[in-house]
Amino acid sequence: MDLVPPIASIIMGFIMGYLGQRARMCFVGGMRDYYLVKDTYLIKGLIAFIVCALAGFFLFQFASAAVKTFPWFLDGGAVFAKKWKATGVTATPSPLLPVPGDPITWSPKAWAHILLAVLGGFGLGFFCCIAGGCPFRQHIMAAEGSKSAIVYLVGFALGAVIFHKFIAPLVKAILA
Amino acid sequence: MRMTAAIAGGIFGLLGAAGQAFFHIIPPPAYGICIACHMRDLVNWIAAHIYPIYGLKASGALIIPGGPVSYNFPLLTIVGILIGAVIAAHVNGEFKWKTMRVWWQKPLAEFFLGILVMISALIFGGCPIRTALKAGYLDITAIIGLVAIGVGVFVGCQALRKLT
Repeated sequence: MDLVPPIASIIMGFIMGYLGQRARMCFVGGMRDYYLVKDTYLIKGLIAFIVCALAGFFLFQFASAAVKTFPWFLDGGAVFAKKWKATGVTATPSPLLPVPGDPITWSPKAWAHILLAVLGGFGLGFFCCIAGGCPFRQHIMAAEGSKSAIVYLVGFALGAVIFHKFIAPLVKAILA
Repeated sequence: MRMTAAIAGGIFGLLGAAGQAFFHIIPPPAYGICIACHMRDLVNWIAAHIYPIYGLKASGALIIPGGPVSYNFPLLTIVGILIGAVIAAHVNGEFKWKTMRVWWQKPLAEFFLGILVMISALIFGGCPIRTALKAGYLDITAIIGLVAIGVGVFVGCQALRKLT
């Protein structure tokens, strides 16, 4: 059993939790503050995250074999094509497909993924904005003693079970 | 040194990329940091080990719904974040039991908001952090999703203005 991912992720989580608490980091809060009061403190964090992730992936592709599919649109879903062939689906890989591997990303149809991205993204932005912060911020607030955020985390965990029990089969049946 | 959001965001971005490149957090790609996905992996792993019927497929194999990296042992990012944030809050004297004052952020309402956020996040395939990480990985659906999050936040802000 490869125990590197759990150990690495708990250490990464510790660093993120500590720095996130000090910096009041929130990914949805940046956009919200910019719309509401034109405050750019948090949105700088979001932009810095994307830029550093891009730079990190670009640099690490020379150092590690795990990032070999980095410019994802150049690959264009060739990883998918192998999987489809095994299940008898004939489809052309498209650069509009998301990165593979998620249980929800099963379909060879690009429009289905774009529809899911628009629907899910809209719901994510709307509900996070009402709830007062992105899931990461809610974890930090729970650790700071907010009872609302602790109850939010219970609902968050329950949502995963509801999704995999009821919503995912439904979505697959509708978009299949 | 004072920790600002810009510095923290930059460090998180590098950590997310390094997690995939050097710490085997793959497959799926661009999975280094995600709150919703890692929580889902942890919850499903525990649920499938308490109630094996939950993860059982028709063929009889135990398939845990979640990222393939978590089949044997789940990622523990959530635990790490909670420990780190509790320590940070206590060291700096910011820990205090409190409840939000507005009615849509009272505990009962937040419970349902939590369910709705998790379902939206998993429909899209990641929380806002992983959306940003996937956008950094140049995934076009993630860039569309980031724009959709922006639209959702904009509508949410209008709703907040109505509510207050």
